[in-house]
Amino acid sequence: MSKQAKSKAPSGGDNFTRWLVMGMVALVVITGVAFSMMSQSTKANASFTALKNYIMAAPVTATVDPAQGSGLVLNPGNKLQIDVWEDPQCPVCRSFEQANGGYIDDLVRTNKATVVFHVLSFLGDESVRTANAEFCAAEEGQYLDFHKAIYLVQPTLENSGFFSNANLIKIGDYIGLKSKAFTDCVNKASKFDIVKANYDSMPKYKVSGTPTVFINGKLWERKSSDFNLAEFRLAVEAG
Amino acid sequence: MKNFNEKYQGSITFVCRLILGGVLVVAGGIKALSPSESASAVAAYKILPTQLAHLLGYALPWLEIAIGLLLFVGLSVRFAALTGGIVMAIFICAIISVWARGILIDCGCFGGGGPIDPSKAAAVHRTYLIETLRDAGLVLTAIYLYFFPYGVFGVEKLVTEIKE
Repeated sequence: MSKQAKSKAPSGGDNFTRWLVMGMVALVVITGVAFSMMSQSTKANASFTALKNYIMAAPVTATVDPAQGSGLVLNPGNKLQIDVWEDPQCPVCRSFEQANGGYIDDLVRTNKATVVFHVLSFLGDESVRTANAEFCAAEEGQYLDFHKAIYLVQPTLENSGFFSNANLIKIGDYIGLKSKAFTDCVNKASKFDIVKANYDSMPKYKVSGTPTVFINGKLWERKSSDFNLAEFRLAVEAG
Repeated sequence: MKNFNEKYQGSITFVCRLILGGVLVVAGGIKALSPSESASAVAAYKILPTQLAHLLGYALPWLEIAIGLLLFVGLSVRFAALTGGIVMAIFICAIISVWARGILIDCGCFGGGGPIDPSKAAAVHRTYLIETLRDAGLVLTAIYLYFFPYGVFGVEKLVTEIKE
């Protein structure tokens, strides 16, 4: 100890070096933060390019059914029913959609199944806002495309400010959802009560995470480590 | 024991600097390369408000790199060890906190991070223990460096000698 104290004899230069070093550390951290934040926001904004030349398909009527946890019912009345529980910000839901989203769209559009989407929002404020926008899109008959677009642009970072009302409207604009009714609905958060009703119905259906899928009321459990269409299709066809 | 320390203190300091500095530079470097993941890893601890957690997630990797480099070259070792030790102590508290609250996450210590499947609970709890012990070991090196900052191959000594 004594030896250490001796060699640390305070001199003017020593103090100066210390402040210089601390200043440099601060400089590195501040520059690093600025750089990281910039690269994150650039990346998020660049994701809009995924929506360039997006062609929106024909509208599909979607109705909110209070008897089914206020889920969004598409193509009602088929004897095969699939229930999909998702949060717009959930990255695993994105993987599920990338593998099976197109197939589910087909089931709806070709009248092969009734699909009920339960739009959850437990991942924070931006999930609530995005879920609201998805219900707004549903009112215009464009739930399928809008919700696909949301997963196309979904940033890695949750609640980073990306899913703002302005950006949600911009996403709609990119895919061709430009009506004033949609914009107003997003800005006024018109569907908050439905968003809340979906969230509140989770315990009733014993859903605690996303994505959760029921095929004819039976919980679907994937066997493979990632999602693959063949496996999901087999499960659906088995009923 | 005292004699042993007096005899080898310079080398022990050097080794501690390499261990603590090396871990910090590597951990910080990996995280600095993927800032969004680092930010969401901090948010996954659910301790700080989201925006603050993101900011910390952006800042932490760069702080680790800066401190790690100082330790590596041996400049302002006492200050660097103090900061590094505090950072490690905070990591320990954060891991114990998620552990106690029953949250299952990947610590994101070396990049990645975020929630983990409930089916892997046992493995995650084992990881928490290992991480806590590892960080505790690093705190020990930091404490040693705080009391014995001057060792072999340190730039600081060089700087002082030149000045004198």
